[in-house]
Amino acid sequence: MIEIQNISKHFDKVVAVNKISLKVNNGEIFGLLGENGAGKTTTLRMLATMLKPTSGRAKLAGFDIIKDAEKVRGSIGILFGGETGLYDRLSCEENIAYFGQLNDMKTPEIKERIKVLSKAFGMDSYLKRRAGKLSKGMKQKVAFARSIIHNPDIMLFDEPTSGLDISSIRGVQEFIKNCKEEGKTIILSSHSMSEVEKLCDRVGIINKGSLVEYGTLEELKQKHSDEDLEEIFIKLVGGKNEH
Amino acid sequence: MNIKHIWIVLKKEAKDIIRDRKTIITSIVVPMLLIPLLNILVGGSISRLNYDMTENVTVALSKESNTEEIRELVENQIFNEFSNITLLDVDDHIEAIEKSTVRVVMDFDKDYKVKLEEGKPFVISLMYDRSQTKSQGSLHIVWDAIESFNKKIVAQRIEALGLNLNLLQPVQVEEYNVADDEKTSGSMLSMFLPLLIVILLSAGGIAPAVDLVAGEKERNTLEPLLTTKIGRSSLLVGKYLTVTLFSLITVIATMTGVLVGFFINPGSLTMGADATITGFTVPPAALLMAIVISITLGMTFAGIQIALSTYAKSFKEAQTYLSFLMMAAMIPGYATMFMQANEIPQYMFVLPVLNALSAFKEILTFNINNTNLVLALCSSLVYVIIALYLAASMFKKERILFRT
Ligand SMILES: Nc1ncnc2c1ncn2[C@@H]1O[C@H](COP(=O)(O)OP(=O)(O)O)[C@@H](O)[C@H]1O
Ligand SMILES: [Mg+2]
Repeated sequence: MIEIQNISKHFDKVVAVNKISLKVNNGEIFGLLGENGAGKTTTLRMLATMLKPTSGRAKLAGFDIIKDAEKVRGSIGILFGGETGLYDRLSCEENIAYFGQLNDMKTPEIKERIKVLSKAFGMDSYLKRRAGKLSKGMKQKVAFARSIIHNPDIMLFDEPTSGLDISSIRGVQEFIKNCKEEGKTIILSSHSMSEVEKLCDRVGIINKGSLVEYGTLEELKQKHSDEDLEEIFIKLVGGKNEH
Repeated sequence: MNIKHIWIVLKKEAKDIIRDRKTIITSIVVPMLLIPLLNILVGGSISRLNYDMTENVTVALSKESNTEEIRELVENQIFNEFSNITLLDVDDHIEAIEKSTVRVVMDFDKDYKVKLEEGKPFVISLMYDRSQTKSQGSLHIVWDAIESFNKKIVAQRIEALGLNLNLLQPVQVEEYNVADDEKTSGSMLSMFLPLLIVILLSAGGIAPAVDLVAGEKERNTLEPLLTTKIGRSSLLVGKYLTVTLFSLITVIATMTGVLVGFFINPGSLTMGADATITGFTVPPAALLMAIVISITLGMTFAGIQIALSTYAKSFKEAQTYLSFLMMAAMIPGYATMFMQANEIPQYMFVLPVLNALSAFKEILTFNINNTNLVLALCSSLVYVIIALYLAASMFKKERILFRT
């Protein structure tokens, strides 16, 4: 479970996130929908304990992001959009194992887990090859495996499909669905309505750092008496933002 | 901070760097070959030049002076004890100098013979080309030969007068070098070794420091890393130790090159200049001190390098900052190159970089002053802490670490 209470983040005068509160239930996918610069990444970075909130608090899997930062990081996996962020000179196995080690897993445990993940993602044939020599699709699978090496209860996805080609987008969406099937609690940030509609149980719309609306798709449609999420979004965000 | 995490990071980063051929070449292979190669290229050509200048002196007579009689005088009385001088016969002596076939041309007074017999001075003009190093160098040798001919004639004349030659030389000078061979070697080494060590310590960390933070940011590998359980300080220390390790490896690689070069050709340390370095031994305690000070200096550079690499907006920017740092570190090295160890004021033992340079100089010249060395060591430790603090504060700044 993820519980966020009145969390804010200021960078000097810029209010990147403004008093957001929300709750994501176990096994649920929550979609964080917002334009560029709305504060999605900042919110997720605070949840991942990379940034300290200016005010407010949050708990992930029962751990406080300030008091139990290390335990929070031990229970989350993160996937970012764009580049996979693998070390080119390490083999796929070494890339994945490095994150396992840093998450305090023991060597036999890491080996066992890599075996399972390798089978699941079909990586057996290139597990020992250097990441720099792989195709985009292969790298992506390694990045998936790396993000769940420690089998976290919670997954955070920050615009995971931005800048990807269609088949890679498919791959990411499959991966998110699999995570849900495994019972993980998920936040997915996105600026794509269709992606959020397709994957998420509930949606929050974030604009200029504030959460302006949230609920299930049905709830939003009823409340705003509109069938189209995009229309609702434009209405709430005002449509006059840059981008 | 978590020792296990630090160790994991150090191992991974070292593995990553070792697999990078570019870094290995710039921080191990090049430093190792640098000194031996410089020695072969520069040292070889300097000693060849020296040899040519002193051992291969070619002289000709001007057209007017090129007579049987003068040739005989020159060969048998002036150059007879100078086997390194050869008298050549040329048609156009000016052209010969310009073309370097001869170094010096001698022109005798027309009535030299009469003057010589009458005991009057006569003139030998020496023509040379000042723009040619070899011509200029050879001039002195011909000059020496003529001087010794002068002395011979003077001696003959004095004796003919029935006087003692000692009359002409009331004082004789003899010189003694009080430094033993070791000290002489040490003072040669103390000129360039401290500078070399400082350059290497600051250069060796550049590639890893740029790669480990700015590179990691640019390749988007830093952010996923920060979502693992590792704390930011453990990550920083792991990276910091890797950078320190590679600065030291660079120094060790170069020193290995220097030592190998020294064993192959003992003159290599002075690049063929006219000095000899014999083997010498540093007291173990002083050697240990030098090693510890080197390590602390490496740690100081590593801290600053990590801080700058974190601050930089891109890989390129980090490279620029770190090159500037290296140049800044070289300035005190060059500035103190010719400073004598026993003349270094005490305050220099507490200034950054200068403290290490001064300590190295003292140790290499056996001018060891314990107070100074302890000052250098303590101040070095303070600088390590300051540099590490600087790196940590950069690493903690959200605006800098997550700058896009
Ligand atoms: N490290 C940082 N330093 C200063 N300002 C930042 C930093 N990160 C984000 N911001 C600012 O915070 C706001 C929200 O950014 P972000 O969370 O990245 O939005 P999103 O991910 O929704 O595009 C933007 O105005 C951005 O400029
Ligand atoms: Mg973002």
